[in-house]
Amino acid sequence: MTKYNIWFFGSLIVAAVVAMPIVTVFFSFFNETSNYFYILKETFLLDYIFNSITILLFVIFFTFILGIFSAYFVSFYDFPLSNFFSWALILSFAVPGYIYAFSIIAFFENYGTAFSLLTFLFGENNYNPVIPKIDGLIGAIISISFSLFPYVYVLTRASFYYQSNNYIEVGKNLGLSSKETFLRIVLPSARPAIIAGLALVSMECLSDFGTVSFFSVNTLTTGIYNSWLSFDDLNTANQISFILLIFILLLFSIEIYSRQEAKYHQPGRGFKSITKIKLNGKKSIIPVAICSLIFLLSFIFPVSQMIYWTVKFPKYIQDIDIFKINLNTLILVGLASALIVIISLFINYGSRISKSKILNYLTTFSISGYAIPGVILAVAFITFFSNLSDFFTHNFNFKSSKSLFIGSIFGLLLAYFIRFFSLSFNGIKSSYEKINNSIDESAYLLGYSKINTFLKIHIPYLSTNIILIILLISLEVIKELPMTMILRPFNFETFATQAYIYASQDLLEAAALPSLFLIFWSTILILLSSRYILSKKN
Amino acid sequence: MKKTILISYLFLVAFAGSLYATEVNIFSARHYDSDVQLYEKFTAKTGIKVNIVSGKSGALEKRIIEEGADSQADLYITADAGRLGAFEAHLQGGLTSATIKSAVPSNFRTSKWTGIAKRARIVYFSPERVSGAELAGLTYESLADPKWKGRLVIRASNNIYNQSLVASLIKNNGKGKTADWSKGMVSNMARSPKGNDRAQILAVAAGEADIAVANTYYLALMLSGKKGPEQQAAAKKVKPFFPNQDGRGTHMNISGAGLVKGAPNKANAIKLVEFLLSEEAQNHIVNNTFEYPMIKGVSPHPLVVNMGLDFKQDLKTKVVNYGKRQADALEVMTAAGWK
Repeated sequence: MTKYNIWFFGSLIVAAVVAMPIVTVFFSFFNETSNYFYILKETFLLDYIFNSITILLFVIFFTFILGIFSAYFVSFYDFPLSNFFSWALILSFAVPGYIYAFSIIAFFENYGTAFSLLTFLFGENNYNPVIPKIDGLIGAIISISFSLFPYVYVLTRASFYYQSNNYIEVGKNLGLSSKETFLRIVLPSARPAIIAGLALVSMECLSDFGTVSFFSVNTLTTGIYNSWLSFDDLNTANQISFILLIFILLLFSIEIYSRQEAKYHQPGRGFKSITKIKLNGKKSIIPVAICSLIFLLSFIFPVSQMIYWTVKFPKYIQDIDIFKINLNTLILVGLASALIVIISLFINYGSRISKSKILNYLTTFSISGYAIPGVILAVAFITFFSNLSDFFTHNFNFKSSKSLFIGSIFGLLLAYFIRFFSLSFNGIKSSYEKINNSIDESAYLLGYSKINTFLKIHIPYLSTNIILIILLISLEVIKELPMTMILRPFNFETFATQAYIYASQDLLEAAALPSLFLIFWSTILILLSSRYILSKKN
Repeated sequence: MKKTILISYLFLVAFAGSLYATEVNIFSARHYDSDVQLYEKFTAKTGIKVNIVSGKSGALEKRIIEEGADSQADLYITADAGRLGAFEAHLQGGLTSATIKSAVPSNFRTSKWTGIAKRARIVYFSPERVSGAELAGLTYESLADPKWKGRLVIRASNNIYNQSLVASLIKNNGKGKTADWSKGMVSNMARSPKGNDRAQILAVAAGEADIAVANTYYLALMLSGKKGPEQQAAAKKVKPFFPNQDGRGTHMNISGAGLVKGAPNKANAIKLVEFLLSEEAQNHIVNNTFEYPMIKGVSPHPLVVNMGLDFKQDLKTKVVNYGKRQADALEVMTAAGWK
């Protein structure tokens, strides 16, 4: 029996808000479109799909290689700097694909940084013809791969950790070499984690906007944006979104499925943690070299390019109002994480005390927001609210409410909410489920009110998790580009929008400082959260 | 408690923009820091606060359209006449004051939008590899000549500067001839189009190509050293050439401002446009962006003067055609396989 109480309606509203973009996209699929969709189908659509799939396949390949190798070395061997690498390899999360892209262009372009470097080392000459021109599709693949491989690294590493020594010993007893043990026992049992990591990579890769648009590679995502912008054709945009969403929902189900699988691979009794093999001297060269190379390419390369530019073109240190951008970022991060976490707590709590099945379905439904690329979300957001506003204006003579949602901090927060709610909701849910219901009952018996039970028992228990979630949401908000770009108010820049705008105005050197700040704050957030991410519990 | 105060303070700061009584709201696709300084000068002079949303032109236009009657936008500023022309349905008349009319020649404005600064789209060549004889009488049309096979670089067809150039060719030579011309251009390209205008000039300096098509201010920008000593040195290896001197003249384009339909601060917007056309503002613009001034009596930056000022500008092809022929331009380029 469902009780129609505040918890029910609360969840209903949240589910409705979060599901808004998917519903908008779904319905407009049946709307008529302009001729553009036909022209597009004839000419470009195949191109878009081809590019999206090419990038996707190569990114999956590279993130797989990068993630597995680094996780393997760090998990099973003890070599110089291995503790350092275990967290340093996550840092490339701090460098969004589009900033990596700026560094690639800056380094490899004619008369770019590589040219200066060669001139400095070997004297003046025309080195341009010998410097490879990394651009377009290849540039996009490299940028996205380096910015996303930590997903595979983190999840694989956690899974390796759980595969207690028992498995490895079994391998040895069967007379397998360590290579065979790895390939035939360790790797297959880490499969669910690897697939989950790759599914996340794929979702992010398909929804990437900044990187591919900087390299002028047309993918389904930029196709959506272009058909919306250049041809004033929201329906086509939504229809391409529909195709893209089918891809993404597929990946999403794979990810959920793999996670469930992964549960069966949790260590049982008799768990022994891995005894790392100590590598010294010559034997340590390979792991040190590979881990260093990945770390250098994924993190040090873009960071040093940005530092080099900031120092080389100091003019922009004065020109950019860095204080204000920091403040804007703080406002967004603070308000967004507070909003998202408070509502997640509310819904989780409601779900707990009302014990309603329907609430569970509603809230599971609402996680779809994360699966939707930012660009689609922003387009659907504008479509939805301008239609809603027009509906009320025409039928009830209401004042228009467009400016409340479009081009306001409120609208931006709402969009972040839709996108990042599932991250927070599920994070809190997973640790809420570990608090036994009998604890609540004991608390009531001891005379605790419901509120006090929540504040004095639940919250302290959840606090570590809440902190982690706040850190992760902050990281996402700082790096978020397309939604912020489309929905932000007047005189309002974040590091991401400022960097992207400079870059698109042929002022890459000016984009260096905001990029550097973005990386700086993201790095701090990652370092703070790495304690939790890499902790034994996860 | 402290937190509440801090948060309310942050809110105030965030929304302080809207507290100004007199303001003007700009949607700007021309995001130069020097423009911001210019707006600050305007505020100091008139007390009118300038609010800006910057971004790529497409996204800004779209937001104005979606917001419809509720849009706060007063002025739309962009770096191409083609953009303004294509956006005309969402602009309104009103830029007709005597100040504007006397400052801007009639082929660079309509009642809805006006040019603020000029630029030319010209040819750059490597003096080492291209002789004077080869260049003599060069026109945009003759860039499709097979003698340039594998020697030309130009950016992609989705670029608005190219769309406007091709639109002007369609206006002058017709769509059929321009379609053939596009095919010739594509077969002459030294590489598949990539990078911005500056990258095309650098490609000539680096020896990847012999000639490039790009806007005038890019060379001056590199020569100024603002892009670093390497690019300054590279820019010296390349020379500008102004095409179509024996005919209609070199293709001209504008940075311009359009008055948005339903602008809540129309009068202030007009004041700002008039300010941008003042001698003070024009001097500021040309010295920072290396464009040509819109008004008479202001000299371009010395580096731009060095590139030559006595060339014949195409004043016959009205820039309003760039918007009108934009779709055709994109069509002929796409059909020719111009990436």
